[in-house]
Formats: sequence, structure tokens, C-alpha cells
Amino acid sequence: MKKKKMLLSQETMDIAMVRKVESLSGTSVRRCFQCGKCSAGCPMATFMEHPPNRVVRLLQLGQWQRILAGRSIWYCASCETCSTRCPNKVHLASIMDALRKLSWDHDGPSKESYVQLANKLFLQNIRTYGRQYEMRLAAVFNVKSGQFLKDMMLGPKLLTKGKLKVFHQKNKNMAEIEKIFSRIEEMRRKGEAL
Amino acid sequence: MSELRYAYYPGCSLHASASEYDLSTREVFAALSIGLDEVPDWICCGATPAHNVDELLSLSLCAKNLELAEQVSGDMAVACAACFSRLKFAQHVLKEDDRKLHQVEQAIDAKVPLERNVKHLLEILVRDLGAKRLGQAVKKPLSGLKVACYYGCLLTRPPEVPQLDDCEAPTIMEQLLHAVGAETVDWTHKMECCGANFTLSRPGVVLQLSNAILDSAKAAGADCIMVGCPLCHGNLDIRQKEIEGVYHRSYDMPIFYLTQLVGLALGVPADRLGLDALIVSPQRLLRERKLL
Ligand code: SF4
Ligand code: SF4
Repeated sequence: MKKKKMLLSQETMDIAMVRKVESLSGTSVRRCFQCGKCSAGCPMATFMEHPPNRVVRLLQLGQWQRILAGRSIWYCASCETCSTRCPNKVHLASIMDALRKLSWDHDGPSKESYVQLANKLFLQNIRTYGRQYEMRLAAVFNVKSGQFLKDMMLGPKLLTKGKLKVFHQKNKNMAEIEKIFSRIEEMRRKGEAL
Repeated sequence: MSELRYAYYPGCSLHASASEYDLSTREVFAALSIGLDEVPDWICCGATPAHNVDELLSLSLCAKNLELAEQVSGDMAVACAACFSRLKFAQHVLKEDDRKLHQVEQAIDAKVPLERNVKHLLEILVRDLGAKRLGQAVKKPLSGLKVACYYGCLLTRPPEVPQLDDCEAPTIMEQLLHAVGAETVDWTHKMECCGANFTLSRPGVVLQLSNAILDSAKAAGADCIMVGCPLCHGNLDIRQKEIEGVYHRSYDMPIFYLTQLVGLALGVPADRLGLDALIVSPQRLLRERKLL
């Protein structure tokens, strides 16, 4: 395979955004000395075009857009191995969270819409029911992602095993839960929150 | 026995796909005379999706649960490794970051109980009750059963958050099993990730990672795997047939929740442990070992 050279330019360098990632994640990318231990232990590195250590390197160089344009952050499973093993206490799993939040807020330019969709539906379920109902989550996911038959073989088996609840109730404290969501939205509108 | 009593947070999975974990937890605690009061109106902790894209929401949902738990006494008992990790994470972050704490308190309109002890079932059984007392309650030792203890990611990582055991070489599950008479195997994948919540959006990844785990357990000579997390369980048990098909392997490896194995040893009747809810049937194995 031909190796493409990675070109970096000063024009795409945006340190202000990197500071935001640092503030959201509570960790500093400047500590990283590129030992690669994070990527060595990352179960998802083989699926990523930028393995974890390179994500940090790109941040050091202000190239956050390059990360967001790729799929690496959406392949991170939040397993915390990188944060656990980094000799410089770079909390990489939190950096991944911060990058996903940035991408989420900009609603793109991520190519990984399935993960975004699954996340979105999951959060909607909490807002509507207070708890997660897996059957509903999976059904709506499949419809919205156009994979109507995905995991269809699993369905009947899980039902007979009592593993899927078809009927569900809303929590009694739905009003309080709704308030949490709306207060956060309100704070964000006023620029008072993360 | 001194009074042990906990505020129980089952989490969403235990009320649905992992109902056998919930059932067996209640049975084991009853058999050991440990009190368990469910947190009234608990809500979803937000799990991975919330902290993945919205930290403030994730922290607020966890903080709300900690607040709801104030209605019942005792340390919090959490069965799901993911919920356990999120609740501990929230306390950890909010203790360190005043700015986030302030925003969360505004969002839930209450103070966050940062000092409430949050414990995974493993800690309660092995430390609070103690391996010794657990051993004394055993009616049917699990002798001859070779178990691979699967910790997965969130019970121990990152070390400063769960503080359950060593983050690279934990032994708390092994201690639990030795107390009830089972054998454990040394194997390579007890800390590797199973693909977790990608089961919905990216099943292919899950199949690959979970196959490696099953393969390692088999190679180490394990009869079965024990887990403390409904997500790991779903990937290893529910998807096992699919994995066998894709990778042309035959594992037939039952995946137990820790409370199911402990329950068996305590003499809880098998039908009260939800063993028939397991997709990979443990019947043959348990009969062979004279445990059924
Ligand atoms: S382990 Fe830490 S120091 Fe090493 S490359 Fe990764 S982030 Fe950088
Ligand atoms: S948290 Fe994400 S980036 Fe870090 S090791 Fe796990 S999958 Fe890789």
C-alpha cells in the first residue's frame, strides 16, 4: 500500500479549539511525549485511521479538524486503557469524550452517523421514559438506519427468554428529569455551561 | 452476623435484558441476610452515550441518582459495571472541578452527595461481608468448576476512579470464586474490551473482540466465564452463536453472572437464579459437575 504523507499547514492550526478540548477534558495534551503506550493497548486502534497517540499529536499541532473529519473518535469504546497506562497522565479517554462533544455540537463533519444516531436515540429515551428500554432502542435504531432486518434472528429468542420488555412504563419523576434536560439547555443558551 | 444494608441501584439492563442478574442478586442477598432497598424512581445513568457526547448531562443524571438514593440508607450497591463506573466517575470529577459541580447542582437543583459510598456487588460480597463469612454460608461448593473471571474495562479502569482492585491484575473475582469452592484459570483476556455498547451500532467490532475473549478462555481450559456487567454478558452470551458462525469456531461456553454462581453455591434453587434465561445453556456443564 502506498503511504500518503500527512501534510500539516499552519493555516489549519487552531490552538483555541485545542484549549477548549483541554478544558472540557481536564487534561493537557502538552504532557504527551509520544511514547505510543496508549495505542499499543487500545483495542480499537486497528479500526482507527489515527490511533490514540496520533490524536494527541494532532491536537498538539492544532489540527483538530483533521481528527473530527475522520472516524477515530467514533471507534473509541471508552475502555479507559489509554488513560490507565499513560505514563504522563494524559487522560485520553476524556479527550475522546471532549472531541465527540465538539463533533456532536457541530453535528458533523463526522462520517460515523450510526454511532451518532445510536447515541441520540439513547438520550431521547432517557428524556421520554427516564430509563432505557433496549427493545425500543434497537427497533428505532434499525428503522432509522435503514437496517430493518439487522439482528432479526436475535429478536424472537430474546423475547422467549424474557430478555426484551415489550411494555414499559414511564418513571414517576418524569417532570424532574425533563427539568434536568431543559435547565442544561437553558444554561447553554446563556453560555453558562459546558 | 452484623446488619448489612444497602441502597440498591439495579440500572436499566437489569430490568430488561439482564433480568436474571437482578433476580439472582436479590436471591443471593436474601440468602446471606443482606438488606437491599431499591432506590425509588432511579433513572438511567446515561451510560456511554451521555458521557460520549454530553459530559454535563452525564454528570447530572448520575448526580440525580445519587440524590434519589438519599431516600434509602446504607452504601449504594450497584450491579452493572457500567453504571458503577459512571456513578463513581461523576463523584470523582465533581470533587475535583468546582465549575462542573456548580453547573450540575444548578441542573438538578440540589446538592450532590459526593461522599456517599458507591460499591459494586463484588466489593460487598468479598470485602464488606468477607470471603470467610461467604465461605461459611456455602452449601454446595462449586468444586471442579473451572471459571475464567472476566473483568472487562470499567470495574478497574482508570485506577483513580473505581478503586475496586489493581487496574492491571485484579483478583477480587478470583477471591469470590475461591470462597465458594470453584477453580479459576489464568488467562490472557480478563481485562480486554468486548466492544461494549458498539453492539447496536457496530456489531462487527463486537464479534471480533468478543471472539478473542472466548478463544482465550477456551485455550486456558475454562468451562465457563463469569462476568459482572450486563454489556459484557450480552456480547459474550447473546452473540456467541453468531461469533461461532462468523469465525467457524465452537465454544459452547456458558457465561454466568457472578450472582448466579454464588447463588448456586449457596443452595439457591436453580430456577430462582434465571439460569434458563442464558442463551448458551449451562445445563449440560452443571449436570456434569453435579451442580444441578
Ligand atoms: S501513552 Fe500518554 S505520553 Fe504516551 S503517546 Fe499516549 S498520550 Fe502520549
Ligand atoms: S478509551 Fe478509546 S482510545 Fe482509549 S484505549 Fe479505549 S478504545 Fe482506545
